Amino acid sequence: MRKVLFYIPLLAFLGLSLFLLSGLFSDPRERDSAIIGKPLPQFALPDLMSPEQIWTPENLKGEAYLLNVWGIWCPTCNAELGYMSQLRNEQGVRIIGLYYVLPEDPMFGEVFDLAKLQADVQSRLQAFGDPYQFNILDRQRRLSLDLGVSGAPEHFIVDADGIVRAHHIGDINPQVWRSKLAPIYQQWAAKP
Amino acid sequence: MIPELGQLTLTFAFALSVLLGVIPLIGSYTANERALLVAKPLSVGLFVFTLLAFLALSWAFYHDDFTVINVASNSSSILPWYFKLTATWGSHEGSMLLWVMILAAWTALVAQYSKGLPLLMQGRILGIMGLINVGFIAFSLFMSNPFERSLPFYPVEGSDLNPLLQDYGMIIHPPLLYMGYVGFAVSFAFAIAALLGGKFDSTWARWARPWTLAAWLFLTLGIMLGSWWAYKELGWGGWWFWDPVENASFMPWLVGTALIHSLAVTEKRGTFKSWTVLLALGAFSLSLMGAFLVRSGVLVSVHSFAADPERGVFLLIFLLLVIGGSLLLYASRMHSVRSQARYELFSREVMLWGNNVFLLTATLVVLLGTLFPLVHKELGLGSISIGEPFFNQMFYYLNIPFALLLGLGPWVRWKQQKAAPLLKPLSLVAIFALILALGTMAATQSIAANLALLGLLLGAWVGVSALFEIYQRLQQFGSVTAGVAKLQASHYGMTVAHIGFAVMIVGIAMTLTYSEERDVRMAIGDRVVLAGYEFELQDVYKLNGPNYGGEAAELDVRTVDGRYVTHLHAEKREYNIQRMVMTEAAIHARLSRDLYVSLGEALPGNAWAIRVYVKPFVRWIWLGGLLMAIGALISLLDKRYRRTGTQAGAQHA
Repeated sequence: MRKVLFYIPLLAFLGLSLFLLSGLFSDPRERDSAIIGKPLPQFALPDLMSPEQIWTPENLKGEAYLLNVWGIWCPTCNAELGYMSQLRNEQGVRIIGLYYVLPEDPMFGEVFDLAKLQADVQSRLQAFGDPYQFNILDRQRRLSLDLGVSGAPEHFIVDADGIVRAHHIGDINPQVWRSKLAPIYQQWAAKP
Repeated sequence: MIPELGQLTLTFAFALSVLLGVIPLIGSYTANERALLVAKPLSVGLFVFTLLAFLALSWAFYHDDFTVINVASNSSSILPWYFKLTATWGSHEGSMLLWVMILAAWTALVAQYSKGLPLLMQGRILGIMGLINVGFIAFSLFMSNPFERSLPFYPVEGSDLNPLLQDYGMIIHPPLLYMGYVGFAVSFAFAIAALLGGKFDSTWARWARPWTLAAWLFLTLGIMLGSWWAYKELGWGGWWFWDPVENASFMPWLVGTALIHSLAVTEKRGTFKSWTVLLALGAFSLSLMGAFLVRSGVLVSVHSFAADPERGVFLLIFLLLVIGGSLLLYASRMHSVRSQARYELFSREVMLWGNNVFLLTATLVVLLGTLFPLVHKELGLGSISIGEPFFNQMFYYLNIPFALLLGLGPWVRWKQQKAAPLLKPLSLVAIFALILALGTMAATQSIAANLALLGLLLGAWVGVSALFEIYQRLQQFGSVTAGVAKLQASHYGMTVAHIGFAVMIVGIAMTLTYSEERDVRMAIGDRVVLAGYEFELQDVYKLNGPNYGGEAAELDVRTVDGRYVTHLHAEKREYNIQRMVMTEAAIHARLSRDLYVSLGEALPGNAWAIRVYVKPFVRWIWLGGLLMAIGALISLLDKRYRRTGTQAGAQHA
């Protein structure tokens, strides 16, 4: 019995090294999103350009789409507008924007100004390309929080029944689209 | 030409390390004296050649040789010369070469200062050091060659050193840290040599003690310096982040601390043998594990070098050979060793056993907290993160019994201690500690039952107890003045290190409880009041550094009743080549508090975002660490370690 005790450190180390080995070959930056396979969280948010229109998970159903969390304050988001417009125009990908409003700091005299935001977004989309069918305004950032967004840009593929099928952190470029997102999108877009 | 010479000398060093790892070890089994004697010159030669390789790389950095890939991607011609030199270890490849050079330096030092060791033991220890050298030199040479050229197409300008690393702290932080990590290789080699020889009397512990102390001293300084550097350089006043790589340096430190204490028991009383050997293996194993975590890209951290699975596989195989092999040897040799010494429940032995239990529990907490997210993810259970709250809470609970024990331990005798004689001095200590803690609190803040009070009480208990204990010990020599010269240096060292621990927990508790911070928008002339200090922004102007631009802010600080305190100069630098923004915080440091200002973004309306902190007692954290290191240094000066091993052995017997 006493003899066995002295092998414990060795066994513990060997067990640990198995995990280290498998850890070597997985990308630590790649996280599994907790939302995959689950329906979109409940929300009722206004359209960015015409706020009288309210969007809910129900009225987004019917066709698979790419949900893009973005903001004009995010340079990477601006950079991917061009390629995403191409996806919309050439491959007919349905892209919906989830506009993430940065928190205003009243101490710095910042206030939320919808008219100014609409104008800014408009001019930005004119300059870089407009991939969006429409934009949902996440003023309180609740939906983004519920989706587990950690930064912009982030992308979700949502199927026709409102179930999240993929979550991509970072920008969409031709390589990411072709190797990671396109297969998932096509699989769910093809379903009636 | 010079980089090729560097590569050549590193290749020679590799050959020498192979010889060192083979000949003396074979000699130790064939009783071939000449094979054993060759270990020493081989060690010295190994060091000389790695040093030459290191100097060659430094030369390439100093002379902006951008044909060397490593230089081109980590330096630039506009970098000041001292940062060019420190850029030598600013990359994975360069820091690996530094690691190799330091390992060879330790090997040569052991060869030089092991005259008192039996030849057999000396040959084995150096042989094992040689084998470790083989692994690391091979890694440097074959997996991450720092001398690789990009000829014929090479850049005319380098892409600059990461601005985070352009700081004086960077000049000495990695070398100190590596001295510590690699220094544990010596304790490791001693333990393996003892395992190979199968002799576990207390002599190996006495030989290993000064080496362990030296390694621990460097590791302590390295960690402290890293913490201070982060505080100064990252611009948000934090001094410890439980970042995986910090944890990777903290684990060998904790085990090293346990090892120092456990070695004392093994040396003086001949017990805890299997335990001490395991700790000696553990300290270096955790250093290796740290190197693996930083360099393989398994964990994401601000410290990690670029991920490369190939390097990771190499290191993991090396890890398996070194750690797995040594633990196998341990398991097969150690189970038959039993110690005879007897001791009662209330004795120094049990106190130090308690020290070991707490330090190892702490190590386990850090290990679990660092690796659990990885294990969790690899099991397919999804991502989780373990952060500060977990570690803080665990260390909070661990520290209370640990500090109480630490105040008691030095009073207790070996073998057996009666409780009655300790009651009087310890109650005196407790009363003094209470008065001191409440007094400090009343003088600096207001008295409240919180974490700060707990920290002050524990710190005062440990500190006052250490002072009383050494006073009482000095009195035993007849009079205190007579005792001062007679008491062993290692006793002074212990007292200083324990006081260092006390100072550190006071610092941590006070900083955690009473730090105040504010993010404010300030235009020139604006004032902000925080914790009784009034900060006035006087001027902001453009900066023009050698390789950076940016802005600087000038602030005046007064107390709320108008007394001038100091002038602060904070900078926000934009490094030209890497396009990175760095804050150079303005810090006014006093023992009782730091005033800390960092300059943020420019805001509309000719104003700036400015972050102001008042951090009470934050200096005490590093002062405590420094005292611990000084304690180790004093212990190292103990005369017992000056004598050669056999003489000391004879005297001991």
